[in-house]
Amino acid sequence: MMRDTWNAYGIEMRSRLLLGTALYPSPEVMAEAVAASDAEVVTVSLRRQSPAAGGGNTIWDFIREMDKRLLPNTAGCHSAAEALNLARMSREIFQTDWIKLEVIGDDYNLQPDPFELLKAARSLVDEGFAVFPYCTDDLVLCQRLLDVGCEVLMPWGAPIGTGQGLINPYALETLRARLPEVPIIVDAGIGVPSHAAAAMEMGCAAVLLNTAVARASDPVGMARAFRAGVEAGRGAWLAGAMPKRQTAQPSTPVLGTPFWQQ
Amino acid sequence: MKIGIAGAGLMGRLLAWQLLRAGHELTLFDRGESSGEESAGYVAASMLAPFSEAVTASPEVLSPGLVALQRWPKWLQTLASESGETVPFSYRGSVVVAHPTDRAELHWFHHRLRTMPEVTEAHRQWLGAAELQEIEPDLRDFAEGLYLPLEGWVDNRALYRVLYGAILRAGASWRENVEIDAVAPGRLCSGEREFGFDLAIDCRGFGARAQLDRFRGVRGEVLRVRAPEVNFSRPVRLMHPRYQLYIVPRSGGIYVIGATEIESESLAPVSVRSCLELLSALYSLHGGFAEAEVLEFRAHCRPAFADNLPRIVQGDGLLQVNGLYRHGFLLAPVVVESVLSLLSGGEVGSLVQIRQFTGESAPDRIGEKR
Repeated sequence: MMRDTWNAYGIEMRSRLLLGTALYPSPEVMAEAVAASDAEVVTVSLRRQSPAAGGGNTIWDFIREMDKRLLPNTAGCHSAAEALNLARMSREIFQTDWIKLEVIGDDYNLQPDPFELLKAARSLVDEGFAVFPYCTDDLVLCQRLLDVGCEVLMPWGAPIGTGQGLINPYALETLRARLPEVPIIVDAGIGVPSHAAAAMEMGCAAVLLNTAVARASDPVGMARAFRAGVEAGRGAWLAGAMPKRQTAQPSTPVLGTPFWQQ
Repeated sequence: MKIGIAGAGLMGRLLAWQLLRAGHELTLFDRGESSGEESAGYVAASMLAPFSEAVTASPEVLSPGLVALQRWPKWLQTLASESGETVPFSYRGSVVVAHPTDRAELHWFHHRLRTMPEVTEAHRQWLGAAELQEIEPDLRDFAEGLYLPLEGWVDNRALYRVLYGAILRAGASWRENVEIDAVAPGRLCSGEREFGFDLAIDCRGFGARAQLDRFRGVRGEVLRVRAPEVNFSRPVRLMHPRYQLYIVPRSGGIYVIGATEIESESLAPVSVRSCLELLSALYSLHGGFAEAEVLEFRAHCRPAFADNLPRIVQGDGLLQVNGLYRHGFLLAPVVVESVLSLLSGGEVGSLVQIRQFTGESAPDRIGEKR
């Protein structure tokens, strides 16, 4: 069977589910959920839980012990300058150039600020970071992010933590169609496995989620369900879906039945 | 039996009191004063909220929490009859609310409760605006809420004080300002000094971190205000997508507001951001909090194992009792009873895991192995 992998900044990956490490009932549940999801990449947030600030580091020990590739994020930053600082600190502490760049423009729905995001992305690329920009699904913004050197896009499905699913499939389909060579990771807003499957059916490279698993009644069970959803959606994309039609077409051959028409 | 207890926080005090009642000879050591101001249980809001905590933390605390609801009034009654001093507590239920934009959080909370088989309709009651006004008139800006009639609180600081008196009267020796930095079977060590016992019990909470495996502190920040313009008669929990807080009334117009939950072992003073979060959420509940006096803003670390559930590490002549996380008052009765049961050779409930002491006194934390 063909090995189905995807690539970000030269790293080949098999799993198309990236998982966040916040909000779990306990570190033990977090570790079990990550294992059940089969994720190869987990996101971590430095802010407020800084191992550098003398804050102790036991939670990092649990995360390191999972032995996954880390994608630090700049959650909670509101300006390019803030995000740059945090990205540099994260590179020191986690020993990786990867950074999920989040610059928030609106505090209530945690909507990305496209202007500050672009500014920060440009500087970080110049400093040698592999930037994963958390962005809106606007085509022009995404093109600009690629122009400044991002090799991956992370458009939102819906605002962070809302679980609304893909609220603008048209925009995501447009990104997929217009930027076919770029890995698109749908980040944020995914609530149930069918949302993840839908993103994969569109041909997105991967999905990133956290709340949907962490705040499920059974996070480990939900991680397993998402793994299956992502695999189903990816399988459908690879297999090629049938075209949509306006009229019904019987799946059973009708040859030999009397011809009739309304 | 001659017993030494390291750490006179909630667990140390309760165990000392119970073991004295069982006729043991007891010495209690603590790094701080007898008031217990340095202990996490002193800083805590000390709610008894098994239903809320089952939703927001772990469903596993529900059944031990229900035991706690029954035990505390009995314990406090016994304490009062022994000491003549009463510890204030209240069982008037609690209310959960959310601002209109965060309704989804409140409904999620309610949904979670409904899916728990142990939670019956007598345990939860959905309130419309009129019913909410009726039970908690000062929540006038809220159109709906959830009432959890069995929940309550204990006055932690009064409890600390009364237990101190009861323990001294029962003849124990209380060693203030002696920091136990290592425990071993039958021994408690403080620098060069060593104290020998038939049984050593380690109740140091976060202070025992160097000697426990897969154990961490989870920082929490707690606010105390005096707000004469606000009149809440029961704990109020405000649900919000990113931070949630609870406000627990005490007598004299005092409210305890908690708590942030940060995966950090820092004991540094409360950050500006946490102040802003807690205070703005508080103010959004009732405008009368604007004129409240800020009495205290304190940070501490909750002691937690990887599964956030309590554990007893057992050796010959040693018990390490720890990991009550954010549920000190809620889980204390079951943990205390587990210890007493272990000592009399009995069974221990499923919540409290028992581990064997391995004799490795060196730190055995996963990060330090690398």
